[in-house]
Amino acid sequence: MSDVMIEIRDLHKSFGDHEILKGIDLTVKKGEKIVIIGPSGSGKSTLLRCINYLEVPTSGVVRIENKAFVEPGKKMDEKHIAAMRQQVGMVFQRFNLFPNKTALENVMAAPVTIRKMPKEEARKIAEKYLKKVGLEHRINHYPSQLSGGQQQRVAIARALAMEPKIMLFDEATSALDPELVGEVLNVIRELANEGMTMVLVTHEMKFAEEVADRVIFMDGGFIVEEGTPHEIFHNPKHQRTKAFLNKVEH
Amino acid sequence: MSRLDFQTAFEELTPLLLDSLWVVVTLVIFSFALALVIGMLIALGRLSKNKFLNGILVVFLETVRGTPLLVQLLYVYYVMPEIISMIGQIWDPTYHVNFSAYTASILGLGVNYGCYLSEVFRSSIQSIDKGQMEAALALGYTSRKAMWHIIIPQSLQVALPPTGNYFTAMVKDTSLCAFVTLGEIILTTQSYASQTFLTIESYTIAALVYLVISLPLSQFVRVLERRSRRHV
Repeated sequence: MSDVMIEIRDLHKSFGDHEILKGIDLTVKKGEKIVIIGPSGSGKSTLLRCINYLEVPTSGVVRIENKAFVEPGKKMDEKHIAAMRQQVGMVFQRFNLFPNKTALENVMAAPVTIRKMPKEEARKIAEKYLKKVGLEHRINHYPSQLSGGQQQRVAIARALAMEPKIMLFDEATSALDPELVGEVLNVIRELANEGMTMVLVTHEMKFAEEVADRVIFMDGGFIVEEGTPHEIFHNPKHQRTKAFLNKVEH
Repeated sequence: MSRLDFQTAFEELTPLLLDSLWVVVTLVIFSFALALVIGMLIALGRLSKNKFLNGILVVFLETVRGTPLLVQLLYVYYVMPEIISMIGQIWDPTYHVNFSAYTASILGLGVNYGCYLSEVFRSSIQSIDKGQMEAALALGYTSRKAMWHIIIPQSLQVALPPTGNYFTAMVKDTSLCAFVTLGEIILTTQSYASQTFLTIESYTIAALVYLVISLPLSQFVRVLERRSRRHV
């Protein structure tokens, strides 16, 4: 099983007394596209944030390419976790671009600071990825000078510049005006077609159906049901899945 | 009552004040540099999760902010050398230290302003959106690297205008160093005024000197304020 990219075993996460994730098992293969859907508060964003340890699980193991962030019974090692995270790109709902840096500087920052890449080389890479997201004409703009859709595309380029093996999208289009959603989804779609391993949390059901290899429906901290997009969207087995899909589709 | 004689006072006092001005300028540069370092260290200490360190720093901050700067200057100049000497004499009975007025002034102003600046730095770091740290961590920064490369540079833009205000305030507060015998503007003015009895003239000129420094400075701070809001 060398093609397993992400392996999650018996993952629990609590905030205080409140248990958000109640035992999640999930395996994602190389090149697979997983879409997580579910009502708000179901734990889908928390699960996504556990995949790169932005949330530290209360218990359970997360492995990327067979390497755990924290091996069971061992102590957290921040440097190891940071190194692991370099392989996992993440795109946030609210973009989180560095407002004091231009688009180009945003994309260059991590390769220069973390990879210790010479600036010239980082600049070339940054330009390549900004071109890929269709923003080669905006590289010297500050985030405040860009539309939401453009900011999110810079954020995708910024994540790609670290050449991750996995991309996580946490409601990447939820904060966008409707007319700007398409340009961001196009970039994500292109990435999917190139074979990137991806896990997405989204409310864009049509898009989910289109790009997903597997759809996971979560509710109340559990994975209630998973299957192909066709199974989940057109032939859901669980009552809760049906109820949720009815609500979002009408 | 005698007539005012601004011309004499101006001709005699101004050259003396230029020397004092030089003392004030270098004093502010050294003291403010010290205050910036102390301020950042205290801010980072208070943001760390170390409860013990936090407790010590809070006590220290409250002590400094709860006592007048003048008292602190007097304490540093007169009391601290005594205490250090007493401790030193445990090993060497002849041990004795003195602070020059200049050293004591740098220490007093630096520590006092460091405490106030630490609150500016701390709150400006806390004002940066949590998403910035998350974005950096997600890219593979360690939290320390994220702090230095992403969070602090942004927070400095926020901190710049209030820091500029403290800088202007420090220039004026150097006048208190007259009490620890530093030959700055006020002490110079005082001794000139008491020799010549040109009281009104001397102190008016001294006040004008402060104004001439402060007004451009506060104007400059206003420019900083406008610039700092650009991209944060």
